[in-house]
Amino acid sequence: MADFDPEKFEDKYANYFPELQQAYKNAFNRMNDRYDSELVHAIDQQVLNESEPFYDGDGEFHVELPDDPYGRLSGVVVEEERFETILEAHIDEIETELQRVFGFQ
Amino acid sequence: MSTETQNDGDDLEDRVTNFLRRNFPQIQMHGGSAAIQDIDRESGEVSIALGGACSGCGISPMTIQAIKSRMVKEIPEIEKVNASTGMDGGEEEMDGMSPSFPGETVDDDGGEVDEGPEAPF
Repeated sequence: MADFDPEKFEDKYANYFPELQQAYKNAFNRMNDRYDSELVHAIDQQVLNESEPFYDGDGEFHVELPDDPYGRLSGVVVEEERFETILEAHIDEIETELQRVFGFQ
Repeated sequence: MSTETQNDGDDLEDRVTNFLRRNFPQIQMHGGSAAIQDIDRESGEVSIALGGACSGCGISPMTIQAIKSRMVKEIPEIEKVNASTGMDGGEEEMDGMSPSFPGETVDDDGGEVDEGPEAPF
C-alpha cells in the first residue's frame, strides 16, 4: 500500500484494483451518511461507473467523469445545481480516499 | 455430436465466464453476481449485468471499469464490454436479489409456516 508506483498505476485495474475499490467504497459510505442515499446511490451506479481515476503526481489524483453526468441520471428527481454540488463532493471524497489508500495522507 | 456445431459460441461464453470468475472472485465473495446478458460475436461486444449486492455496495463502479478494461485486453475476440448493475433504467433491483413469483410465497422452512398449530418447545 505504501509503495505506490505511478507506472503501475497506468495499468491500475490490474495492479491496484483492491485499493481502487476501497477508495470508492469509503467515499460512497461517507457520502451515504451525509447526503440523500438514493441520489448518492444513483451517482455511484449511473455516473461513477463510467469514471476513471488518474494519478497527477505529487500525491494528487483526479477523477474523470463521463460526458453529461446529469443527463445520465435516471430514476431520481434532483435539481441540476444540487446534483452538481453533491457530485463534486463525491469526487472530492474519492480523490481524498485515493490519497489515503495509497499512503499520501 | 449435435452440440459440436455450437462449440465456437459456447467457448467464448465460457471464456468470458471464466475470466470473470478468475479475475473478479470478490463479486461472488461479496454476495454479488455477474451474468452475461448478450454476446455479439460479430462485433465482439459483450453485455454483463452485475446483480445482488453489487448494486449497492459502492465498489461496483470500479468493478465495472476493471471488467471493461481488462476483458478487452485478455480476451482478444472481445472488442467492447457493456457492464451495468441493472439500475441504469431507473428501477432499483438491489432488494430483489432472490427471485420470486407473483402470488407465491417462498420460504426455506419446508412450507409449514402458517399451517396448523405450532408444536410447543
